[in-house]
Amino acid sequence: MSQPALRVRGLHKEFGRFVALDSVDLTVDEGEIRAIIGPNGAGKTTLINVLGGQIVADRGSVEVAGRRLNRQHPHQVAKLGVGRTYQISSTLRRMTVFDNMLCAHNAVSGKWFSLSAGRLRKMEDAVLADLKAIELDGLADQVVDDISHGDRKRLEFGMVLATRPKVLLLDEPTAGMGLRERHELIDLVLAVTRERGLTLVFVEHDIDVVFKAAETITVMALGGVFAEGKPEEIAANSAVQDIYLGGTG
Amino acid sequence: MTPGDGTLRDSASAPKRGDTYSINWRLVLSVVVLQSILLVVSPPLVVFALIEVMIFALYASALNLLLSFSGMVSFGHAVYFGLGAYGLALSITHFDFPIALGIIAGPLVSAFFGLVYGILCVQLTAIYAAMLTLACAEVTFAVVFQWFDVTGGDSGISGHVPTMLGLEPYQFGLVVLCVVTVAILMLWRVVYSPLGLTIRAVGQNPARAAALGHGRKSVQLIAFVISAFFSGVAGTLFGIFHGNVFPDYVGILFTVDGLLMVVLGGLYSFGAGIYGAIVYKLLDNLAAHYFEYWQLVIGCIIVIVVLVSPSGIAGLVRRIVSRIGPRR
Repeated sequence: MSQPALRVRGLHKEFGRFVALDSVDLTVDEGEIRAIIGPNGAGKTTLINVLGGQIVADRGSVEVAGRRLNRQHPHQVAKLGVGRTYQISSTLRRMTVFDNMLCAHNAVSGKWFSLSAGRLRKMEDAVLADLKAIELDGLADQVVDDISHGDRKRLEFGMVLATRPKVLLLDEPTAGMGLRERHELIDLVLAVTRERGLTLVFVEHDIDVVFKAAETITVMALGGVFAEGKPEEIAANSAVQDIYLGGTG
Repeated sequence: MTPGDGTLRDSASAPKRGDTYSINWRLVLSVVVLQSILLVVSPPLVVFALIEVMIFALYASALNLLLSFSGMVSFGHAVYFGLGAYGLALSITHFDFPIALGIIAGPLVSAFFGLVYGILCVQLTAIYAAMLTLACAEVTFAVVFQWFDVTGGDSGISGHVPTMLGLEPYQFGLVVLCVVTVAILMLWRVVYSPLGLTIRAVGQNPARAAALGHGRKSVQLIAFVISAFFSGVAGTLFGIFHGNVFPDYVGILFTVDGLLMVVLGGLYSFGAGIYGAIVYKLLDNLAAHYFEYWQLVIGCIIVIVVLVSPSGIAGLVRRIVSRIGPRR
């Protein structure tokens, strides 16, 4: 058995007096699809931010594919093969859809400092192929500011994929999307994840999406891991139902 | 194609995207030829104005690399402009460089200070970084102004290089045209290359760029040094043009001139510095000629332009071209 894709031990983070993460342990195996759910303020996004290097934890350790993170900057974590999307989609809004994808290809080409425009032209076909794969090739010349929220989320996911990550961290990939686009996007995410054998960790509020996609579910509450198990175990767990009702009610 | 059949575009007939990054040689050549003719046929006073416009077009274009593309604001860019002129002067007066070597030294001094100050400034972001660029500029100005033994203080340095290298105005104008054209083409190469794409990605969204694997600080530092270097080229030319250098060259007024040109020209467009320099210098010369309170007039015009077309002159030009140009 290979080592886990992600291993988190005793992760702790406080913002002032607010305990966002309270000694969190989490192990995600390679190729696993893991959902993280929980009421607002449970620490889900903070956890994703620590995994992605955006936030440094006060205590505890994070290992990605056996390599321990030690205050690396986000771009260094990205180079270890961790790709992430944000709760509010994060793209290059003044560029075209095509140029956004071109940026992703350029970033992983290893020669981002080159002055040769020819290098960019050579990436053109691969960029279009990637846009086709996420069904955005028809919008290639649109400025990202002008495309819909759902398409931006899709583009962000596509850009992350283009950097060839081993671990995907998706923070609410379907937030703010319509029901249909929501399922289209998650189907796309699942298809790619399985095809490439990626490890997927995603935070999600839509319970339908969670139960459709996840192999294992981690329930967080008040900064800690409250329960963990197969979808059917979580569904049957009355304590989980209580915190959901208690947390939002 | 019937209306409303849902076809957005025929992808086969779409322009090749890589072409956006190519230099429009026909345009470059026309501008150079036109400008050469203007320089040769115009009376000296007009030639002087044209030379100034070209030098400032380069300075503003270098500043524009930061403002429009790298996501940084410099409130002290005259430092890199002025230090080009000081680099030229000091390398000749204090290190006995021949003039040719001094001309090379000017931009390198600017780039060096761009590196030193840049390392400090990229540690911060947004308005904090901008304030630090201002602080660095104030320190530089104070040193240049007060270190009398070396810089000549308020009276500056002159006589180290013959004004316009001893050439006729139109001849010097042609030299400036060559240097500025090559420099602006090099800036174009920077912006529309893998490096430029990286700079623009970091400038637009540092978080996304980081998730793609780009560190903000190193990328912004590279942009800062390149911008300082080309500002230094402009400053060196300016020093040769006037045959002197004064503390004003690193002062706040030259900084503001550059910023105004870029904003007037239109942020987020490559041509901002060029359009801005032409219009600003034209206003500067004309308004001063016809109005007593000419700065007030310029100020009002800038306010109107920014309100009418937030994308500046570049935005206006784009709109006009798209209206009269061929439809695709």
